Amino acid sequence: MTFDLQKMIESKRAYRARLAALPIGDKLRILDALGERQRSIRDSVTRSGTAVCPKCLKDPT
Amino acid sequence: MRIREVIVALNQMQADGIVARYAIGGAVGATFYLEPVSTLDVDVFIDLHAARSMEGEHGVRGRRRVDCIGRVVTRPSDGAIASQYIVVGGWPVQFLPATSPLVEEALAQAVEIDVDGTPASVFAPEYLAAIALQTGRAKDKARLLQFIEAGAFDAKRFQDTLAKYELVEAWQKFERQFLSDTP
Repeated sequence: MTFDLQKMIESKRAYRARLAALPIGDKLRILDALGERQRSIRDSVTRSGTAVCPKCLKDPT
Repeated sequence: MRIREVIVALNQMQADGIVARYAIGGAVGATFYLEPVSTLDVDVFIDLHAARSMEGEHGVRGRRRVDCIGRVVTRPSDGAIASQYIVVGGWPVQFLPATSPLVEEALAQAVEIDVDGTPASVFAPEYLAAIALQTGRAKDKARLLQFIEAGAFDAKRFQDTLAKYELVEAWQKFERQFLSDTP
């Protein structure tokens, strides 16, 4: 295992390019899944009573 | 696919004359050109000129037009009105009238993209990038950087838009802040 930062940056860039090149239907399905997850996390945080930044509640995106 | 339900509803609203036209912007709009990034709502920009014909029927004005849209959209198969959003297909949808010349032009120049057989009207990438620069929040700057890094817009068209809407200075500041090797 090496910690070649440049390699990691290039790898991430390539991954993001592959994601961007996906068919739009697939990308929107990923958005659906990401949205579900984000809502679940947000709802569980507020249910637990942990303080949440009011600004985040108003503008969760 | 639930965002597709939003697109179907929007197309129906346009067909029914509730809105003259619509275009998806924001993070969902950017997804059409970039990698998907998590978001909690769908920003839909609308041209309400056609909705004026509904004034006589519903007596609506200004903000109440959103209520009117809500009443039309919230048929049995659709969701509820929640705060400033209308929930469609599980997605909070924020309807935003085009209230600036840049957004008006972006709406007029919106492109139609096929989503698994359903047409969707989306802001062109140059306008998404220009609006992000104009809005200027941290997440907008991050989105603009994504567009730049991905080469996802026509640079000349973008620059022409910036010049037209007096955003050149904002762009130069952005360049100095994020794209310059000089700290």
